Amino acid sequence: MSLATALKANDVTQLPSKRDEDWKWTDLRGLLRVLPPPSEPFAGEAPVGPFASLANLPIHVVNASDPFVIRSASVEPYVVALHFAALGGGSHSASAQVEVADGGHLILLESYEGDGADYVANLDLKITVGAKARLERIVLAADGAEGVSVSIAEVTLGAEAQFAQTVLTDGARRQRIETRVAHPGAGAAVRLDGAYLLAGKRHADLTTVVEHLGVDGTTSQLTKGVVRDQSRGVFQGRIVVAEGADRTDARMGHHALILSDKAEVDAKPELLIFADDVQCAHGNTIGAFDQDALFYAQQRGMPEEVARALLTEAFVGEVIDRIEHEGAREAARLWAAKGLGL
Amino acid sequence: MAAVKQTVEHVESLEKYKHGFVTDIEQDFAPKGLSPDIVRFISAKKNEPAWMLEYRLDAYERWLAMDEPEWAKVYFPRIDYQDSYYYAAPKEKVGPASLDEVDPDILATYAKLGIPLREQEVLAGVKGAPRYAVDAVFDSVSVVTTFKKELAEAGVIFCSMSEAIREHPELVKKYLSSVVPVSDNYYACLNAAVFSDGSFVYVPPGVRCPMELSTYFRINAENSGQFERTLIIADKGSYVSYLEGCTAPMRDENQLHAAVVELIILDDAEIKYSTVQNWYPGDPETGKGGIYNFVTKRADCRGDRAKVSWTQVETGSAITWKYPSCILRGESSVGEFYSIAITNGRQQADTGTKMIHLGANTRSRIISKGISAGRSSNTYRGLVSAHPKAKGARNFTQCDSLLIGKTCAAHTVPYVEARNGQCVFEHEATTTKLSEDQLFYAMQRGLSQEEAVQLLVNGFVKDVLQELPMEFAVEAQKLVAISLEGSVG
Repeated sequence: MSLATALKANDVTQLPSKRDEDWKWTDLRGLLRVLPPPSEPFAGEAPVGPFASLANLPIHVVNASDPFVIRSASVEPYVVALHFAALGGGSHSASAQVEVADGGHLILLESYEGDGADYVANLDLKITVGAKARLERIVLAADGAEGVSVSIAEVTLGAEAQFAQTVLTDGARRQRIETRVAHPGAGAAVRLDGAYLLAGKRHADLTTVVEHLGVDGTTSQLTKGVVRDQSRGVFQGRIVVAEGADRTDARMGHHALILSDKAEVDAKPELLIFADDVQCAHGNTIGAFDQDALFYAQQRGMPEEVARALLTEAFVGEVIDRIEHEGAREAARLWAAKGLGL
Repeated sequence: MAAVKQTVEHVESLEKYKHGFVTDIEQDFAPKGLSPDIVRFISAKKNEPAWMLEYRLDAYERWLAMDEPEWAKVYFPRIDYQDSYYYAAPKEKVGPASLDEVDPDILATYAKLGIPLREQEVLAGVKGAPRYAVDAVFDSVSVVTTFKKELAEAGVIFCSMSEAIREHPELVKKYLSSVVPVSDNYYACLNAAVFSDGSFVYVPPGVRCPMELSTYFRINAENSGQFERTLIIADKGSYVSYLEGCTAPMRDENQLHAAVVELIILDDAEIKYSTVQNWYPGDPETGKGGIYNFVTKRADCRGDRAKVSWTQVETGSAITWKYPSCILRGESSVGEFYSIAITNGRQQADTGTKMIHLGANTRSRIISKGISAGRSSNTYRGLVSAHPKAKGARNFTQCDSLLIGKTCAAHTVPYVEARNGQCVFEHEATTTKLSEDQLFYAMQRGLSQEEAVQLLVNGFVKDVLQELPMEFAVEAQKLVAISLEGSVG
């Protein structure tokens, strides 16, 4: 059950629905009665995306593309900007492979863009990070308000590899950004962050699965979200520690602010542990503004609006501060300021 | 030092599952299998009115159309529902008029289990010893209910379910299945069709129940399932504390226990429901036998400022599938869930709670402590949700899991759904093994490894144990010790 197989077979019954445990809060079957036809090849000037100027290699795809491969063996940080634009209606499918050779260092700046059309977009990424290699992946998703978009990245890590990811999104009509990480190699380090700022009737689903299959792995995960109006934020995080994956240290945090009475946040932070020599924890908080902090700021002479904006910025800022690539961090800061109306 | 001494004493009294004996008494069985005729047979055996038979047959029809749930992290061969007895009762000519007429073998069984069925024995005990009324359910029927007279003076109705159907049909009709609908889930629906007995409690407005109420469930017969149904109603401003304990003989085949518990709490009332579950867990080496404990428990806080508190100590059962839940409907109502779930050997537990916040300013608290040892698996699964109208809802959840050994598993699967901007939900969970430093410290002070583990485990579960009524807390602490026997070294 996936959007990819449904699009391939042109069969709506293969869409994941709320009856599928992993999709219970992001129902595609109930939303899409028919699947739009595959999009026509795009003719015109293609947008290059927000990260093009930061990259050694900018790549852009409009609507659909044939599968392609990005391979990097550079030991020095090498920056690839990968921009996917959905322009016009129809269904768009794209898939790519990213391979970082042993000891390599790649920075992948990924961005999505959608116009106002009611498109259905699916992106499949397969990422392999070699032994002692590093990959930092930033995803900046700016889908259209009527778009339905699913992006699934499968990441496999070699021994002592480092993988850091930050997903920033303002949602879509229905959007899912899923990352599945497996580290069979020993000593791999994973950072998986995310932030969602939703308004209107937008929906964003950040789903992650981390499988610790080797020893001495670490995972640090922090996701923050702000929902307003009638929007809906979904966070599903699963950490699996397989039998024998000893000395794993995994931490997961998800914190969301609900700023309207009609907004909704659903969260499922899961720990599945099959080994005993582990340290695993998760924390999850969902709620309204901290009235004490708000009062404190106002009492220091700040108008309420400014106090709210400042507190929200600081709330989301914690995720953005963890981005290592400086240019991407600045872009993320601008994105947050814009999203929060600062 | 007192706690250490107590622990040492408990470790000394460690033994294998001690309730695994069988009582040889003459039993009345319904024929094996399940059909409308069996449902009619059970209903007739209990001299039930026509409306009850109709209710059962309707449930049976619905059950046929349902599928067994498969989402829990428990694995077992498919159950053949036609290969079980749905009714087994100790044989008796006429209903016992007093305790003296109850089969002495049954009384001996309960005495072995340490249940003070005879009031005089309780009264003859230490002066000022806590007294509690007991309803004892043996396989399919309630054999005796104690302290009825004294409770009746306070206006409290405490009797077996079949008696309530006969004597208080208006209350049963009004509340039965009003919290757990007939077709709520597969096992609850099966229970509605074939339930044989259970306890019924009604506490009238403004009454504080003068003593703890308690039910002991015992599965004795071979190849039989136990399906009891408990219904407790706390009317406005009342209070009742209810305890439940369960045991079963050691057998090689699996036996099904599919109970339904419904609690109804009206304005300003409170129910405290405590369970010490010690069904036979099956053979720790082979995983053979043991009880399948598929239970639906739900409380409905219908009134404003109503409060319900679930406390459970789950040590037995081959498989536990159980989620005592709270529907917080009344304004400012409160739900609490305190749980210790221990799995050892080849046990599997998937247990947790649901806190459904519907009313404004409702509050809930979840403290769950899971301990897995041996080759067992222990899952916490819980839901906290706030309806758009539940302004000011608050929840705090803490789930801690402790792993003892390399081959066990501990999972945490919480669901959180917040549907308004004025609720605050907090959740934290940890999974770790016993701290080497703490173990070393305890052992260096002269405790053996097993004693040291016991001490640390007692500390780990203390938050929950202290929520149990006094007489259960001691029993529960002992159980924790027994359940973890042989899990280290």
